[in-house]
Amino acid sequence: MTGGSGKRADWSLPSSGCSETVFGYVRPPVQDLPAEETERFRRAYCGLCHTLGRRYGPAARFILNYDFTYLAILLSDGKEGPGHSARCIASPLRKRAYLEPDTAMELAADESVILAYWQARDGVADHDWLHGLKYRGASAVLEPAYRKAASFRPGFDGTVRRQLALLGALEKENCASMDRAADAFAVLLSAAAREMDDPIRRRVLEQLLYHLGRWVYLVDAADDLKKDAVSGNYNPVALRYSLTDGAWTAEARREFTATLDHSVHMMTTAFELWDFGVWTPLLETTLYTGLFRVGKSVLDGTFRAKQRGADRENSKNVEETA
Amino acid sequence: MNDPYEILGVSENATDEEIKKAYRELARKYHPDNYHDNPLADLAQEKMKEINAAYEQITRARSGGGNRGPSAGYGGYQSGGYSYRQYGQSASGSSVLQQVRIAIQTGNISRAEALLANYSDHNAEWNFLRGAVCYRRGWIDEAKRYYQTACQMDPGNQEYRQALEFMEKGTQSAYRPGGGQFGTELCGGNMCLPLCCLWSLCNGGGYWFCC
Repeated sequence: MTGGSGKRADWSLPSSGCSETVFGYVRPPVQDLPAEETERFRRAYCGLCHTLGRRYGPAARFILNYDFTYLAILLSDGKEGPGHSARCIASPLRKRAYLEPDTAMELAADESVILAYWQARDGVADHDWLHGLKYRGASAVLEPAYRKAASFRPGFDGTVRRQLALLGALEKENCASMDRAADAFAVLLSAAAREMDDPIRRRVLEQLLYHLGRWVYLVDAADDLKKDAVSGNYNPVALRYSLTDGAWTAEARREFTATLDHSVHMMTTAFELWDFGVWTPLLETTLYTGLFRVGKSVLDGTFRAKQRGADRENSKNVEETA
Repeated sequence: MNDPYEILGVSENATDEEIKKAYRELARKYHPDNYHDNPLADLAQEKMKEINAAYEQITRARSGGGNRGPSAGYGGYQSGGYSYRQYGQSASGSSVLQQVRIAIQTGNISRAEALLANYSDHNAEWNFLRGAVCYRRGWIDEAKRYYQTACQMDPGNQEYRQALEFMEKGTQSAYRPGGGQFGTELCGGNMCLPLCCLWSLCNGGGYWFCC
């Protein structure tokens, strides 16, 4: 998900292009998944989009991403409820199947709006007037949706505010403990599971989300190594391993992957202690395979390059189909 | 009582060999080694008990209701041989650190943390226990550094050395379905990250806000 203010994280918006987004590290590893699982994921993706649209109006749909879809899946009851199909702005000709919004989907939608809003506000605070424009635009558009979401989930909103403030403070003091910095974001994400009634389920999800947050924060920092080495921005991974030019030493890379792998291990061991129903194959492949693939690609320095290539392809596709 | 076949995820018509295979896979997944110092180890322990009981029940029923237990199966996983690392077992030099061990063992991490914060002698054992607290909190990098300090201060201590070794190589033997290797560097090849997922998910039209 996001690196928070500490990483001067950019936010993906239709107008901004996608090359700088910090979302997208958690994604379905399609070549490892049977088509039916990818399709199931897409139905959840479309379901969350419809939920956002119904609850918050069409503008809120633009915050949709894979990370929020995973959140919706983790919070769901493991059953695939009634499906519907509809045309939409992204698929104006062909009807697409989607999952009917339920209470778990609504929780995920509310939390997504809160996360997206504060992420955009973060961007405003972190940039000068000109570069902060698009963030101001995003947070202004999201303002009414955010107020509604915050009134539904005041506890989660409070945690997100507190943890992002903490991240900002850690950045200012140039905190050299990457665990402490990652913890601020990991705690934020694990708060998404606080409304779970079943105590075992809550423990499992909080642990899974904590380490997902830790992993995402660290992978994002690793992905920004070169960029931050040039700009001089705070980077907890660079500080921890004394990397000054944005390049890994063999020793640092070994230690860093060991710590990432421990977080993945914490996620998988938590995952195995709860029945995620129909989502089990998707989550199993994502956690045991997909995260390693993304991590390795980031460490090899090929993640951003590919992302940019895909974005170019993406916009080309838009032009062709427009 | 839950259906033992359901617990093992096999049908009632499964062969003995299939049942043993299913049991072994589950036993590997929930094995104490896979939940070493894990804050959810108690839940894994419950799972393990359930699986052992289910396997025992099926083997007993199939062997004609005799008393012969599942000794033909995975002996090492029987309840007797099942042990999570006991922090209370090692002798502590001080009664406060002994209390810290007990607090960690019972999952009361906040108490362990508070006790350590008020203990001024930062000796090898203090560093080791501080590392253990960090690990349970998910502060994995800090945990390793405290274990390193403990090992430097007391190089001969087996307990500290094992903890440090686990931080360095521990996840290499972690459970992965089907027995594949676990780890970022072990994932096959550079070309392994598919961005084609954008297409298969969003090929319905120009999906401009999808990335």
